[in-house]
Amino acid sequence: MAGVFALISLVIDTATDRTSVALFHRNELLFEGYHDGATAHAEALPKLVSDALAVEKSINQVVVGMGPGPFTGLRVGIVFAQSFAQARNIAWRGVCSLDGFDIDADEYIVTSDARRKEVYWAKYSKGERRFGPQVSAPDYVAELPEKKFGFGFGPTIYPSMAMLLAKSQSRSVTQPIYLRRPDAVPTSERK
Amino acid sequence: MSEPLVLGIETSCDETAVGIVKGRKLLANVIASSVEEHARFGGVVPEVASRAHLEAMPSTIQQALEISGIKLKDVDAISVTAGPGLVGALLVGVSAANGLAVALDKPLYGVNHLASHVAVDLLTHDEKMRPTIALLVSGGHSSILQVSDITSDIKSLGQTIDDAAGEAFDKIARLLQLGFPGGPLIDKESKTGKVDAINFPRGLTNPKDLAEHEFDFSFSGLKTAVSRYLQATPEFVRADVAASFQEAIVDVLLQKSVKACQQTGIDSLVIAGGVAANSRLRAVAQERCAKAGIQLRTPPPALCTDNGAMVATLGSLAISAGRPASRLGIEAASAISPSIPIWA
Ligand SMILES: [Zn+2]
Repeated sequence: MAGVFALISLVIDTATDRTSVALFHRNELLFEGYHDGATAHAEALPKLVSDALAVEKSINQVVVGMGPGPFTGLRVGIVFAQSFAQARNIAWRGVCSLDGFDIDADEYIVTSDARRKEVYWAKYSKGERRFGPQVSAPDYVAELPEKKFGFGFGPTIYPSMAMLLAKSQSRSVTQPIYLRRPDAVPTSERK
Repeated sequence: MSEPLVLGIETSCDETAVGIVKGRKLLANVIASSVEEHARFGGVVPEVASRAHLEAMPSTIQQALEISGIKLKDVDAISVTAGPGLVGALLVGVSAANGLAVALDKPLYGVNHLASHVAVDLLTHDEKMRPTIALLVSGGHSSILQVSDITSDIKSLGQTIDDAAGEAFDKIARLLQLGFPGGPLIDKESKTGKVDAINFPRGLTNPKDLAEHEFDFSFSGLKTAVSRYLQATPEFVRADVAASFQEAIVDVLLQKSVKACQQTGIDSLVIAGGVAANSRLRAVAQERCAKAGIQLRTPPPALCTDNGAMVATLGSLAISAGRPASRLGIEAASAISPSIPIWA
């Protein structure tokens, strides 16, 4: 590792419908690619990372969005990132995916689609997360005074890979951010 | 590559499993199970299983590497269960395998879970591969397969039309208040019971059903029969109910398996899957196969339940047979026919 950023960083996020991959040399972008599709993460991610490796093969660290986000797609990104790092014997860092939303405002709330008529959200002040992430009904979030950005309140936004990389230095997390308990219905009871 | 070194990952249900083989030699077989987390729900909860897979994956891979004494950079290929199974659970394994394969720039083989249950038999001896009938019985599946070539030619002869055999064990164990998972508990309870105490129904064995479902199974009627018996017989003997229920399942599984051998002219039967660990199934299979002149193979219990070694084995056999690797970004499939042993 050299300086503030590891030399070459592979950044991955699958916390929204978008599968995003980027490659940085320190904080200079070398590659960026994405694929949209709520159930396409597993298929798109290996291809995007292969495309990134075609630009630069030797990676020093992996940064990955840990959610919150729809669980199945979220796990695809996390386990891919962890395994990639394990295979290359390099470090990986997790980041709250909402921290990656690049918003030009002072006090604001960002939201993403939590399905089931709810949103994931967190409150920020000057780019720093002050509250959350949480999962709530949009009506509840709507009553909060801060300006809102994201799903349910404006156009859907996606994490900026550069923001995720930057946040991985100061605010990393090690566990997936689920915010919901599993539905406790065994397979045998579903028929 | 005559003796490929393959790492296999299995996450189709509640076991996070990683196995490593060199050719047909087992080097490591590590299993982290989330069964205890599911026990309080009385069955496998898909989201609980998926979370547990993610949590257990890195350390399970690491343990397999340590036990086998190899490094990831030395493997020739990664093999992974791509289906059938719980799709959210499968995706954790498939994505982990993709991460390894892309990082190492090594081929990835997405394999069929059912075919890999049969393939594991080849780890236990070094005879040549030959055609076999396979009875696969677990909490997720109950099938009879005709395996002409494990990497390219498998035909499904029959399967359950309702519950899997293992599910039937779980449900009856719950009725008898034995706990979860039901298989081993009923096996144990049955030791002191009479197998012919109660004559429970053998599903899909009367002539009319056989015409349409010769090698299919049905266990839901059996569950209803046990439940009615318990209601009608307040002073029932638990061991007798367990033993008689188990006998009904074992009887119908083996009736159909032996018949499949006879009808196809194949004189070999492999029994695999979690239920293959059942002691009564093993004992009766031995008797009936000996009588019918069928060579019986029952892999040791640790290789019968879902494991990574079986996935690695099928990957290794696919390489040795010259089968092409799966394409980049293979998908997981919750339902897929065993006639596709290796994903394209
Ligand atoms: Zn199985």
